[in-house]
Amino acid sequence: MKTLVLLTLVCTAAVFAADPPVLIQNATILTITNGTVKGSILLENDKIAAIGERVAAPAGAAVIDGSGKYVMPGIIDCHSHIMVDGGINEASVSVASMAGIPDVLNPEAIAIYRALAGGVTTVNVLHGSADAIGGRTVVMKTRWGKSAEEMKFAGALPGLKFALGENPKRRGNPAGGVPPGVVELRYPATRMGVEDVIRQAFSEAKAYRANWEEWNAKAARGELAIPPARDWKLEALVEVLEGKRLVHVHCYRQDEILMMLRVAEEAGFKVRTLQHALEGYKVAGEIARSGAGISTFADWWAYKMEAQDAIPYNAALLTRKGVLVSLNSDDPELMRHLDKEAAKAMKYGGLSEAEALSLITINPARQLMIDGRVGSLEVGKDADVLLYDGHPLSNFSKVLKVWIDGHQYFDRDQDIADRPKQEAERKELLRKLGGEPRRPAIEGGTERQTP
Amino acid sequence: MRWLLILALPAFWLAAADSDAGDSFLLRGGTIHTLSGAPIDNGSVLVRNGKIIGAGKDIAAPKGIKVIEIKGLQVYPGMIDAATEIGLAEVDGVRETLDIREIGRFNPQLVALTAVNPSSEHIPVTRANGITTAATLPQGELISGQVSLIHLDGWTTDEMAVSRTAALHLRIPSIQVSTRPVQPEEGAAPPPAAAPTTFAAAKQNFDKQITELNEFFDSARRYREAKNAKAAGFRPDLKLEAMIPVLEGKEPVLVTAIREREIRDAIAFADKQKIKMILCQAPEAYKVIKEIQQRDIPVILGPTLELPLNEDDPYDRAYTTPAELQKAGIKFAIGTFSGTASLSSRNLPYQAAQAVAFGLPHEEALKAITRNAAEIWGVGDRMGTIEEGKWADLVITDGDPLETKTQIRQLFIKGKAVDLDNKQKQLYEKYLNRP
Amino acid sequence: MMNSIMKAWKLPALFAMVLAAAAAEGPGTYVIRDARIVRVSAPALEHGVVVIRDGLIESVGENVPAPAGAWILDGNGLTVYPGLVDALSTWGIPANGNGRGGAGQGAAAARGPEDRPLNASWAKAADQIVPTDRSIQTARDGGFTTAVSFPRGNIFSGQGSIFNLAGERAGEMVIADSVAQLISFRTNTGRGFPGSLMGAIAYVRQIYSDADHYKMARAIYEKHPEGLRRPAYDRALEGVLETSLVLLPAETNVEIERMLAFARELKLRAVLYGGHEAWRAADLLKQANTPVLVSLKYPERSRDADPAQEEPLRLLQFREKAPSAPAALARMGVKFAFYSDGVTNPRDLIRAVKKAVDAGLSEDDAIRALTLAPAEIYGVESRIGSIHAGKIANLVVMDGDLFAEKTRIKYIFVDGNRFEPLPEEQAARTGGGAR
Repeated sequence: MKTLVLLTLVCTAAVFAADPPVLIQNATILTITNGTVKGSILLENDKIAAIGERVAAPAGAAVIDGSGKYVMPGIIDCHSHIMVDGGINEASVSVASMAGIPDVLNPEAIAIYRALAGGVTTVNVLHGSADAIGGRTVVMKTRWGKSAEEMKFAGALPGLKFALGENPKRRGNPAGGVPPGVVELRYPATRMGVEDVIRQAFSEAKAYRANWEEWNAKAARGELAIPPARDWKLEALVEVLEGKRLVHVHCYRQDEILMMLRVAEEAGFKVRTLQHALEGYKVAGEIARSGAGISTFADWWAYKMEAQDAIPYNAALLTRKGVLVSLNSDDPELMRHLDKEAAKAMKYGGLSEAEALSLITINPARQLMIDGRVGSLEVGKDADVLLYDGHPLSNFSKVLKVWIDGHQYFDRDQDIADRPKQEAERKELLRKLGGEPRRPAIEGGTERQTP
Repeated sequence: MRWLLILALPAFWLAAADSDAGDSFLLRGGTIHTLSGAPIDNGSVLVRNGKIIGAGKDIAAPKGIKVIEIKGLQVYPGMIDAATEIGLAEVDGVRETLDIREIGRFNPQLVALTAVNPSSEHIPVTRANGITTAATLPQGELISGQVSLIHLDGWTTDEMAVSRTAALHLRIPSIQVSTRPVQPEEGAAPPPAAAPTTFAAAKQNFDKQITELNEFFDSARRYREAKNAKAAGFRPDLKLEAMIPVLEGKEPVLVTAIREREIRDAIAFADKQKIKMILCQAPEAYKVIKEIQQRDIPVILGPTLELPLNEDDPYDRAYTTPAELQKAGIKFAIGTFSGTASLSSRNLPYQAAQAVAFGLPHEEALKAITRNAAEIWGVGDRMGTIEEGKWADLVITDGDPLETKTQIRQLFIKGKAVDLDNKQKQLYEKYLNRP
Repeated sequence: MMNSIMKAWKLPALFAMVLAAAAAEGPGTYVIRDARIVRVSAPALEHGVVVIRDGLIESVGENVPAPAGAWILDGNGLTVYPGLVDALSTWGIPANGNGRGGAGQGAAAARGPEDRPLNASWAKAADQIVPTDRSIQTARDGGFTTAVSFPRGNIFSGQGSIFNLAGERAGEMVIADSVAQLISFRTNTGRGFPGSLMGAIAYVRQIYSDADHYKMARAIYEKHPEGLRRPAYDRALEGVLETSLVLLPAETNVEIERMLAFARELKLRAVLYGGHEAWRAADLLKQANTPVLVSLKYPERSRDADPAQEEPLRLLQFREKAPSAPAALARMGVKFAFYSDGVTNPRDLIRAVKKAVDAGLSEDDAIRALTLAPAEIYGVESRIGSIHAGKIANLVVMDGDLFAEKTRIKYIFVDGNRFEPLPEEQAARTGGGAR
């Protein structure tokens, strides 16, 4: 279905007209910020136009019967690596801020469609965790069928990925010793070195900024001087210092969390989110006071030493202590059922339904500073809306339809209806290109499949 | 004298129970999901010496028995994770904690139970969500060893053992063509040097493996013949000795097969060698339904929460396979295949629940993680339902265990109340109370 | 047979003799009469005359008198085309002639763009031409008179040169010594930065940013060095500044969009090479006024692939529609040319162009993409690319239509020198099989 949609969109005129309004009636509407409304919601002109017990359908509106169904805002995944070509890590260096995700986006990755089918409408696409300071990051919407540029979340601040702990020191301390042919190991090899890399980088960034300020002053005075060269690596760090680029820090242990908060304070910038932070619960107070948010897993643990003290109560405990918490996936499979993950924060730690849903909607929206546009169902916000056949936190419910900016990007019924067509198209193409793969025969068995 | 008698009664009651046989008690007043019939509202379960005596609406409490009131609560058979690595792996990233994969391709004599660590933190963490039994699998190329079925409670592995050698684990050979990436990512693991890059070479590899596999089985047959005939010069061989129950049909072979071709190869192999087979993982089983049906092959499905294998597969491919098999009358259980990390064994019920969202009847989902798992593993007479004569492997919940927000109230393994505490709960409490 | 004789003897002398025999006549005066002249820059003449003198086309027309003493060819039944051009080639430059720019053996790993890894931007193909390289004759015998060859192997591989495919000294063959910079995104495997596509793109961005700065800094310094710190000499940047045209790789729709955005951001005058999915981005290419070099190596399923491996619809469509990309570009008015992309047999190249014709490209546009279009893209359209008075005398004379299988090449004119294809070349052509 997905490729057919793609082709159809390509073949039709480049400019696509505004979608007709959509009215979902008689549903249970989970607004997130204003409680539950049993009634209707109107999507018009890309935005949520009305929510209420009774909402009139404007002319030309598509009316959907939401009886027995649930409506909630599109899910926001604050940590993902989907839709990236050519590797998610520039791992040759420990400071890779010259490189970035915006340069290598792949809008045709099937992971996007699969996430969409699981209710994810906004994704914080990050560089990997191989570097103490990694590459630039970008916020996208899962507007399946559109170009990379069209998928970007317009107006969202760009980010920069940092990584602490085991991952960024792996190349400095490889498991099998120094690999053959490698002349020099990549610094750092310890957590001490990780801190050093970050401090050095910002020290360099400040010197760079000072050089520019000096030259600007000279130029203002009419003095002859050669300007500094633009250094894209340091430019990103200067943007961090100026608050124009959000900082997302992959971390695990409480000591490195505190280290990062301290280093940031010393350098003069704020950490926006601590990603994973599986030991965050141990220093919840400190984190709350710093203003940093936490974006963590519901219940992953035991895959690394630094994840040994991970507990599924992390999200709930941090929430109770006043930290802004979101749940993320960091995984193309997990991101398809973040709604089911959110329910775990109810089981482990007793968050309420509303609190649990916030973990995947308004909270990540606030963390990414896009909560003026998404994260809840409020009049005036983007019409990023999910329709479920049951309560989103129930394991027995599933996503039926997804709208982004009031345009329907996913429809389960349509997806199912399109399958035979897609299968037929594939058979046709295989025939044209010469030869369908032979059905394998059962060796020595009692049956033989005819090709 | 009477005092002595009165005192002696409980002593007699206790004496009658050996240390191994668990408690006696009556669970009273809850909804009993026996999974061998309709749920019993306001029902009770009577347990004596760790075995279920009966479940019903009105069961009188025998004198002196401990009564556990469960008003408003639910009782289910303890859940069974039909395929895991539990006990064989502690931390994925730390090699020293891993005992899953031994060197060698023909190791039928290796037994998973030997390597299970009874002190693994995964055990208390997993049973805290109602899982009482797990099948733990050795892994490797071809024959990796014996699957062991264990209770998630016991001071030693002997106490945990339900079935030391529940099945032989065979990874059916497959044709793997290695594609070298055009631009290998710096630091990414290079493909194994000997990996074939053409179909012809891969097919050759595969043919060789299948031949060797068949030869191994044939040599095991000859060994058995020689042994039975007390042939002159016969010498015991540990590897071939371990094959005998398989050859005699007393022990099944758990065959891991992923792609359709592998599943067909597995079936062909089982036909040829005349062995009892359980299909393992088999995400493409839906392509081979007829053949599986015809031979009544049970299937232990891999996790439902899994990406489709092919780009063009429907997005819900893994979610709908259980329902498809169920409609075709194929008996299946669900395994998490967990060692650690995300596919944690404790989330077994949610793997089953996802299938319900996409068409599997609720009752069938429950069976897939209790009764069917027990039957497939050959212990259907001992666990999997709440029926007379079976062990009291029971879980008491405040709701549907397939729903996440449900809390586990109590857990019994062989009638013994199991501690639901674990390191994670302890850390939670500790830091909740950090000033 | 000739092939093995050549191999056996390996004598340059023999080769020179053969060459001499093939190049029977030096630049003299030639007249082709009564032939079909496909001029490209003007409509074809069904019965036309071409006069070549001293390496240039002197006149073309319907009634042109033959100069005295000219070698005259009765062109009845023959067709004359401009000599074909390979728009992005390796012909004439031996593969191993190019070292890895940047780091030498055992040097420290590149720590970032500042170490200028994989950069040989100053290298010129014109300096690497080996006139006796086998590929030159093979190409010429197949109707190609001109190649736009580039050094290879780096991210900044160097500057392409346009040269004719005949000559004793490299310098004499060159038409334009520096036409564009070739950029490829590769990783510096094992030697540091960049280790990913992301890093390579960032590197190119930094280099162009540095180049702008370098130019400005040097200009300031030249005018007034007193009191200023001198800018370092940077040959990587010098190389990049030598040409304003940049070749960027883009095969798929996503890559085309990505590179168009990149070129726009860096304010580069770009030409994209690859182009297989250009049919999806023709409108964007038109808007950006960016020409495309279309590879004649169409995407194909690997012969070594596993036949049971399911390929996604997306990939099948990519393959099926690739030959239609040129037609789509032509319809949209996007300038494009063809290139060999490693296909060595000229016959296969023509067949590939025919495939594009079968998929909707007009023959006229096809021939243009092999002749005048590459000349225009590289700014040498006043020198080559069509049969027009004043242009270099590069022509190919055949006994039928270029795209007909049984057509044989009679003569090739390069810089007004007349060549005949070697007999073995003929055998290969009429035999129909690729070598």
